Parts: sequence; structure tokens; C-alpha cells
Amino acid sequence: MTVIATYNIKGGVGKTSTAVNLAFLAAQNNYKTLVWDLDPQGASSYYFRVKPKVKGGSKELIAGARELDGLIKATDFENLDLLPADFSFRNLDLVLDERKKPTRRLKKLLAPLTKEYDIIFLDCPPNISLLSEAIFEASELLLSPIIPTTLSLRTLEQLKKYIKDNKLKHLQLLPFFSMADRRKKMHRDIIETLAEQHPDILQSIIPYASDIERMGWERMPLGGYMKKSRSVEAYQSLWNEILDLLK
Amino acid sequence: MTATPLYFELPANLTAKKFIAKLNKQIDLQITAQQYSIKTFYDSFDWRLYNANRICEFNHSQHVSQLNLIDRTNGQLIASEKLEHISSFSQQFPAGLFRDNISPVLEMRALLPLSQLPHESYLVNIFNKDKKTVLRLVIDEYEFLNNRVQLIPLKGYEKAHIKVANILQNTLNIKPSICTVLNEALKQQGRKPKDYSSKLSIKLKPDMRADKASKLIYKHLLQAIQINEADTIADTDTEFLHDFRVAVRRTRAGLSQIKNTLPSDIVSKNAEFFAWLGQITGPTRDLDVYLLSYQHYKQSLPLTLRDDIEPLYTFLKQKQDQAQKDLSEKLKSPNYNKKLLAWEQYLNESLPKKGKAGHANQTIKELADIRIWKVYQRVLKEGGKITAQSPAEALHDLRKTCKKLRYLLEFFQSLYPQNQIKNLIKALKGFQAVLGDFQDYEIQELSIKAFSEEMMQNQTPSKTLLAMGVLVQYLDSMKCNARNHFAEQFGLFVQAKNKSTFKQLFNNKA
Repeated sequence: MTVIATYNIKGGVGKTSTAVNLAFLAAQNNYKTLVWDLDPQGASSYYFRVKPKVKGGSKELIAGARELDGLIKATDFENLDLLPADFSFRNLDLVLDERKKPTRRLKKLLAPLTKEYDIIFLDCPPNISLLSEAIFEASELLLSPIIPTTLSLRTLEQLKKYIKDNKLKHLQLLPFFSMADRRKKMHRDIIETLAEQHPDILQSIIPYASDIERMGWERMPLGGYMKKSRSVEAYQSLWNEILDLLK
Repeated sequence: MTATPLYFELPANLTAKKFIAKLNKQIDLQITAQQYSIKTFYDSFDWRLYNANRICEFNHSQHVSQLNLIDRTNGQLIASEKLEHISSFSQQFPAGLFRDNISPVLEMRALLPLSQLPHESYLVNIFNKDKKTVLRLVIDEYEFLNNRVQLIPLKGYEKAHIKVANILQNTLNIKPSICTVLNEALKQQGRKPKDYSSKLSIKLKPDMRADKASKLIYKHLLQAIQINEADTIADTDTEFLHDFRVAVRRTRAGLSQIKNTLPSDIVSKNAEFFAWLGQITGPTRDLDVYLLSYQHYKQSLPLTLRDDIEPLYTFLKQKQDQAQKDLSEKLKSPNYNKKLLAWEQYLNESLPKKGKAGHANQTIKELADIRIWKVYQRVLKEGGKITAQSPAEALHDLRKTCKKLRYLLEFFQSLYPQNQIKNLIKALKGFQAVLGDFQDYEIQELSIKAFSEEMMQNQTPSKTLLAMGVLVQYLDSMKCNARNHFAEQFGLFVQAKNKSTFKQLFNNKA
């Protein structure tokens, strides 16, 4: 089982659409896949038409009072399940803080799912918090979408520093460009410069495209309503890069 | 864990479309696919999957072909593979859950098609108010069977599963059914599950005339020979020949052990014929055993020698191919067919009012008591004489006597209390296992040695011959191991409890 977190300190960079679309592709490739919607806004739950509600809320979930397996919902797609968000997840930091070894908590909760799933995507809320520390502890890959702006460069460097300072050696950071608008000169320039300065940035670039925005209207992953487009190809290419790393 | 699927049988004349229309009045749904499909059930000839509560079905349509392994007791899907065609042997399937599940059950047996059912399949999604799929339905529309509905629950939406099941039962008056149409499909062919087993089950009555009972036994055995004949010739898997040979051996044991029930000319003529059948089937079976043991042989070698032994497999396979070809020709020969037909005709002839042979008119129970007791005494005598210094032949002779006793117990088991005779057979089986191992390892040791001499002539690399030498040493150590267990196993067989049961069942003079 591989745990992949989609994470960025900044919000609105395409974390949820990345988690949802890559999970869809993983499931299509016959990997038993789970998306855990950890963001209280519940965007990935919304995309899968699943009510953002978890029995017992964050408190019981983190306490381990309920097995995660009993809270999981099947999506409309084969091999793809979802652990929905709950509004109480806004307090996850506080709930974690009450536990012993809070940063190891998520990893412990995920352990029983090893047999059932090949890949688990953690769709994370923005900010660096106790929850993100627990997410870093539980994940092997940290997939971080970056919009090609100067500010994004700063957040990427902050994240790298954080991983280094906290000696998270098990965690592989995988930044990639997201919401890239080729019509904007600034985007093109930054992609070029950043790619040179940061060879660890993945090759695939997710475009800023209306068909990705349509996910909110269709309430399903891109591949559920569109077979071929530049965006579909971009996610496929990103998935192939990740798959190469998993092999 | 997801709930298990539920199954329903639609009443006659209720088409899938009418049913969907009725259901649509109650809930929001959508037909997502409709396709012509052929459902083929698979199992081994001896029903290994069915006996392990598994159903293997292959649904083949123009767009998708899926092989499913289903738990027969609750309809839960155990494993599923998207495949274009079905392989014969478990090791030929792609690695994964399906193969992992069938391999230990099927072992060396081939997966064979049992029955085919063409049908129109409808896939239906049931939605909640957010248009989220909360349940899937598969409706199979058959030509000659009532149509079936399968409710496939989705994780986390168990309430919808129960709700729709209630609508089907209480509002639409549709009855739940078992998870598979296998039984119905077989019924159309005049078959039923588990209609073949290599185990003997002959129902005799104690007061039956001995010649009549022995004919009944031979008829059962002849049937086993005939059932396994075509696939023995076709070499479908190794166990057809194995079962064929067991039936031949049992017939031979019957002819020699159920004494004086049939006319002596019939017995001597057929004893010769079945001895010939035993002899012509031997080489192929031996080579089958070596090939089946090959992986075990390989594993027994040190890691560094394992690849070196590969040429032995090719050598054995070539020999087996030739032996199989020779055997097939013999089993297709007029000589074989004529003799087997004559035996069948004789068994079907009505009995004379009074049998000519010495024991023909005795009751079968009297004869069975005498024969089993006599052969049992022989086992005790021969076994009791065996010491650590006894030659291998003494153990081989004892093995043959034990086999005779085993066959007699099996032929006549319906004449005795089931529990007691089953316990005796079980005790004997344990003892026979040691004798069998001793014999098998000895023969294998000698054969591998002989093969290595033959292979030496064919310029086989010396590293292969070296690996075979190590294998011979291993087989020798296993043979000695079996020999060392003899006294313990014999002791278990002759323990007081078994002795008194033998006496009570077969020599109860009181």
C-alpha cells in the first residue's frame, strides 16, 4: 500500500482535482484505491457525490473508536472508494493535539487498510499544522501542485525546508505545475526558470482548463465525462510519472 | 466489509425490461449497459471448486469477458479477472487473487467447461437524490430459465441494498433465490453437481447373492473406466489416467479377492485383460508422477543446483509425450474395445438361477466377512514379520496385501456400520501412506538413476547429471525416512481398538 498526499501550504492550487483525477486513473489501472478527504470543505466528497459526513465526527475518528473501513463509501467507479470529509475536520488539529504521539496517529489509523487498498490518496487542507505533520508521517509521496507564480516558488522552498528540518527522510516530495496558463508569458517564463532550478519538479504540467473546472458541475472525475482532451492527457502523463516511481 | 449480494428469481414471463419499468416507479435508476453474454461454468472433472464451495463462471460478451470466482454459500465475489480466454491449468492464469484462490484447490486438475447459458444482461444503477449510485443491479434474461436479478451492494450504502431488497420482496412480490443458476443449467443437460467422484460408493444389501453383488461392483468400476477413457486418451489432465488405473486395479483386486463368485473362465480371461490394461497404462502414469513431482524435486536441491536440473524436465516431458501417444493408440485399438465391450456385455447379462462358481450363491455379507478377515490376518502376519533388516520386497508385498484389504473394505463398506468401517479405512490409509512413500521413493530413485544414464548418452551437461545425483541422494533419504516410520504406523494400525473393531465386524462368531 502506498500513501500519496496531495498537499500545498497554499489553497486553491488544484490539490483536490489532482487527488480525484489521479485516484480515478489508479482505479482504472486496477489498483484498489481510496481517497481520504481530509479537508473540511469536502471538495473531493462533493466531486464523488458523497455526503460530507462521518459518523462520530473527527473526535471518534481520531480516537479510533470506529474502524475506518466502516466509514468508507464506494464511489460510482470500480476499485475506487472514498472516506468522506466532515465539517468537524476543521478541528482535526485540536483533536490530534489531545492524543499521545499525535503526528503518528494517521499512520496508525491507516494501517488496517493495508490489505484492502493498493493506493491511498490523502486530499489535504492547506497550511502547515499538526494535521499536516501527521499527514507527512503517514505518506510516502507528497504530491505538491504549484501554480507558476513567484509566490509559489517561496512556498515550495518553505516546504522543502520543512521536510529537511524535520528529517522526513521517508517522504518524497513531488512538485508539479498546476493550473498553468500557456497564454500567460509569466507562467511560461516561471515554468522554464523553475524547471531549471528545481530538476525534481515533475515533467507533466496540468493546464488551467475549463474542462477541469467542469468537474464541479459534473460532480465526477475528469475521465468520467471526458475521454480525450489536453487535461485528460496531462493527468494521464502525471499518473504515468508517479507509476514509474512506484514500480 | 461490504454486505453480500442478494439474488432474486423473477416469475415466469416477467421480462427484464418490464421488471425495470416496474422498479423505476419506486426508485430512480438508469440502465447503464445491455449486452448479449454467454455464461460458462467451469470446474474440474471431480468438482473440486464446487466441493470447496466455489463457483467459477465466465461471462463472455462482445465488449468484456470476465471470469468470476464466487462463494457458493453467500454469493460473495472472491476474485475476478478480465480475460479473453480460459486456461486449462491454474498455473497458466495471470498472477493474482484468482490464481491464488484456485491453485490449492485445483492442484493438477484441468478447469473444464461444465455448461453454457446464453443470456441478455442488463446493468442498472440505482441512484439517491444526489444522483450518486448507491446500488447496482444485474438482470440476466435467459431463454429457458426464469430471469434472475442480482443486487450488488456498494460499500457504505447498505441501507439502499436493504431498501431495494424490501421493494422487490414486499412490493413487487419477487422471491429471493440462491446465488447461482448452475444447478438449473446442469439440469437442462440431465446432470447435477458432484455427479463424479473417484471414491467408491456401491450400495449392496447383506443378503444379496454374491455373484450379483460382485457384478454390481464390477459395473461401478467399468463405469469409472469408461467415464475416464476419452480424457485419458486426450491427456486432458493426469488424473483421468490415474482414476482409470485405479478402476482397473480395483477390478483386478476384485477378480482375485472376491473369489469364486463368477465362472472361472470369465475370471481368468478378464484377469489377463485387466493385467494388460494395468501394464500398458503404467509407463505414462509413472512419467506423470515424475512431472508432477518435478517442482518438489527442484525444491529439494540446493539453490545453486536448481537451474541445472532443467534438462530433466524436457527429457521427462519428451518421454511422457511418447508414452502418452503409445497409450492413446492402445486405448483406441480394436483389441481393447472388443475386450472391454465383451466384459460389459457379460456384466449386463442376467444371472443364471443358480450360480456355477463355488461361492456364487452365498450371501455377499458372508463372503465379505470371510474375505476381509482373511486378508486382514495376512496383513497382520506379513506386517508382524517385518524388522529393520527385512528386504524391501517384504514391504512391497505387504503394501500389495494392504491394497487388497483396502479395496475389499471399500467394495463392501455399505454392508457394515458406516462410522466403524470408515475409521478402519482411515487407519489403514495412514499405514498405507508410509508403505506407498517407501515404494514411490525407491522406484523414483531407481528411475532417476536410469534416466541419468540414458541422458548421459545424449550429451547432457555434466552439471545436470550432478544435480540428478543429488536428487537421487535426496530420494534415498526420503525412502529411509519412510522406512523409519514403518514400525510406528504399523503399531497404530494394529492397536487394540482397531483389532477389536476388525474382529467385531468381520469375525463375530458370537
